[in-house]
Amino acid sequence: MNCPNCGAAVDADFAFCESCGAALTPSRTTAANPVGSVDASARTQPTTRHTEPAVPPAPPCPNCGGAVGSDGWCTVCGARASNGREHVIEQPAPTVAAVSDRGRLHPRNEDAFAVASQDGWTALVVCDGVTTATDSDTAAFAAAQAARNLLTAADRPTGSVADRQRHWSLQVKAAAVAADQAAEGTATGGDANPPSCTFVTAITDGEVIVAANVGDSRAYWLPDNGPAQQLTTDDSWATEQIRAGVPRDEAEADPQAHAITRWLGIDSPEVDANTTTVTADCPGWLLVCSDGLWNYCSDASQLREVVDKQPAEPLARAEALVAWANEQGGHDNITVTLARIGDVF
Amino acid sequence: MADWTAQVFQNEYLPDGGTDIHAIVTVTSKGTGQAGESGGAAEAIIIDCSGSMGAPRSKIIAARQAAAAAIDEIADGTWFAVIAGVGLAQPVYPQTGMVQASDRTRSVASAAVAQLTPQGGTAIGQWLLTAFEHFRAAPAQQRHAILLTDGKNEGETAEQLRGAIEAVTGEFQCDCRGVGADWDVPELRGIADALLGSVELIADPADMAADFQAMMQTAMARGVADAKLKVWAPQGAELLFVRQVAPTVQDLTDRRVDVTPLITEYPTGAWGDESRDYHVAVRVPAKALGAEQLVARVQIEVGGQVVTQGLIKALWSDQTELTTRINPAVAHYTGQAELAQVIQEGLAAKADGDTDTATFKLGRAAQLAAETGNEEATQKLKKVVDIEDPATGTVRLKRDVSKLDEMALDTASTKTTRVRPS
Repeated sequence: MNCPNCGAAVDADFAFCESCGAALTPSRTTAANPVGSVDASARTQPTTRHTEPAVPPAPPCPNCGGAVGSDGWCTVCGARASNGREHVIEQPAPTVAAVSDRGRLHPRNEDAFAVASQDGWTALVVCDGVTTATDSDTAAFAAAQAARNLLTAADRPTGSVADRQRHWSLQVKAAAVAADQAAEGTATGGDANPPSCTFVTAITDGEVIVAANVGDSRAYWLPDNGPAQQLTTDDSWATEQIRAGVPRDEAEADPQAHAITRWLGIDSPEVDANTTTVTADCPGWLLVCSDGLWNYCSDASQLREVVDKQPAEPLARAEALVAWANEQGGHDNITVTLARIGDVF
Repeated sequence: MADWTAQVFQNEYLPDGGTDIHAIVTVTSKGTGQAGESGGAAEAIIIDCSGSMGAPRSKIIAARQAAAAAIDEIADGTWFAVIAGVGLAQPVYPQTGMVQASDRTRSVASAAVAQLTPQGGTAIGQWLLTAFEHFRAAPAQQRHAILLTDGKNEGETAEQLRGAIEAVTGEFQCDCRGVGADWDVPELRGIADALLGSVELIADPADMAADFQAMMQTAMARGVADAKLKVWAPQGAELLFVRQVAPTVQDLTDRRVDVTPLITEYPTGAWGDESRDYHVAVRVPAKALGAEQLVARVQIEVGGQVVTQGLIKALWSDQTELTTRINPAVAHYTGQAELAQVIQEGLAAKADGDTDTATFKLGRAAQLAAETGNEEATQKLKKVVDIEDPATGTVRLKRDVSKLDEMALDTASTKTTRVRPS
């Protein structure tokens, strides 16, 4: 085909003419759920949407305004097209907030979150795309959505604390499996480094808190009266070193510290997520985050000090924590999801 | 429909202030089919029939047999002609234009080549121009020639040869073969490079028939008539070089055609089921730490369609363990390209009587051949120099080196080995 503007021969797949930059197809920015948009309905209603990852729109290059090729890179300056996730916020309920940010040193945000909340029930999911693999931002997004969708659709039994703990322990494991399948679904085949990501989720059902993880994204429980707890154990080189007796500071300072030993994606073995359950006996904060935050305050008590200094409103608190991590250097993508729980049991 | 893939091997990490990115792109084609499937194929066989081909007579006898062996491999329906290279070129069969291969035409052609007799001189430019006239008479898009010579181009001026090469460049591909020790390797390499073909020494006339048969089989198995290598680099970038590095080293810079200010194109000729490696080097202005940029799209275009693409990227990082790594494929082929260059320069210096330069260059060649595991180059070097220490490149020029051994080293200099599995 030819460009209607300048007449140059153009690839039928291209959204813009390589010669003059004219748009070749109708704008696709009206996609039903652009990646990373704030869905207004999500603020007041439970997020029970079962949306597939939206096709990222192809607006002009964010760097030079040139045409973006079908390969996702600018055809003029070579900048990568935006994945629309430089800074994403969501607040599905007044007590729940999520913020994800590119940070300062990574060219794009490969973290993703998916959150839902209704009637004292909340699910927080964070996935961190593995930078050294291809298209991991897509894997992270698909995985987080799939896990959140599974949890939202699950039954909500009203039995004893023990019954509900058992139920949700099974559900978070199932969510990890669904997330893994979604991540695997983003592999295009033949890639030496297929897309992969970490996974962490925490759900609260009344006083019942259950967390599960694969990789080094974390969940913390910060009760108002009592010591802060890290609910998840990293699948990472550093954790293995600490387990072997190396002091935490030393292990986490090692260049290999962040090498993860388990992940989601087509090149990972079958997923069996570690789960942790805890019962909230007082109000507190449930925090689920990527290493872009905890790398600057790894120990639960250290993290708590930082969290406590921030504003009390959940979204303001999450934004402030992201800003704080950027002030520390913003070396990685930063994702913070928070739920204030237990004020009314 | 052929199946194409492009794989990129590079270290995309640049240090703060870093500007140069090197990558090896491996292009592989599968299921290309047979020559001429789209648009027809044509073959010309050009046999040197200068007087020297009769001395010894084994040369002209081998040439007749080799031409017949090649004719036997021409697939039915392929257009072809056989041309005798004398002072001017003379058609052997058919008398004008080309004919389509069949049992009958192949046997008539074989009978005609059995009558080839040595006479006259060597004017390779004239032969190429005559071959082009024959090609133009055939309705075939995929054109390939085999050229055999045993001598230097003495029947015309260097200027005339250059003009002829220019006139036929892009019109047909030509594999060149030299028999005996009296032809000029750089001269024939210049023709083969311009016409996207290979150059080889046939030291023993007895090997000629098998070589011609193999060459024609390869030509008949090239189902993609013409593919172009297209390289896009971003605004403000400088394409430092594009070089084929496997199966042979070929600097493509001279073949470059600027398509747009950002896109350059290089002809690569016909493809069978095969794999070729390209070394692409791009210089871009340094960006901030953490920034990422696409520095080249390397594409193969067939019939106006991009059939595969490899992306070369840059990512600026303060992590020295990432930025200081050299990609093994880039390192290997950088060494192989230098190996080809120092062998050619060393032999040229030796021919000029510059013993010091020859010893230094061929010493470096011995060192590179050892480092990159190029056993063929090492064996051929050993016939020209005594390698005292390959690690330091210490060599001594041998006395009484056979001219054929030098020519074998020279013609094989551009052949590369693939990256050794680490």
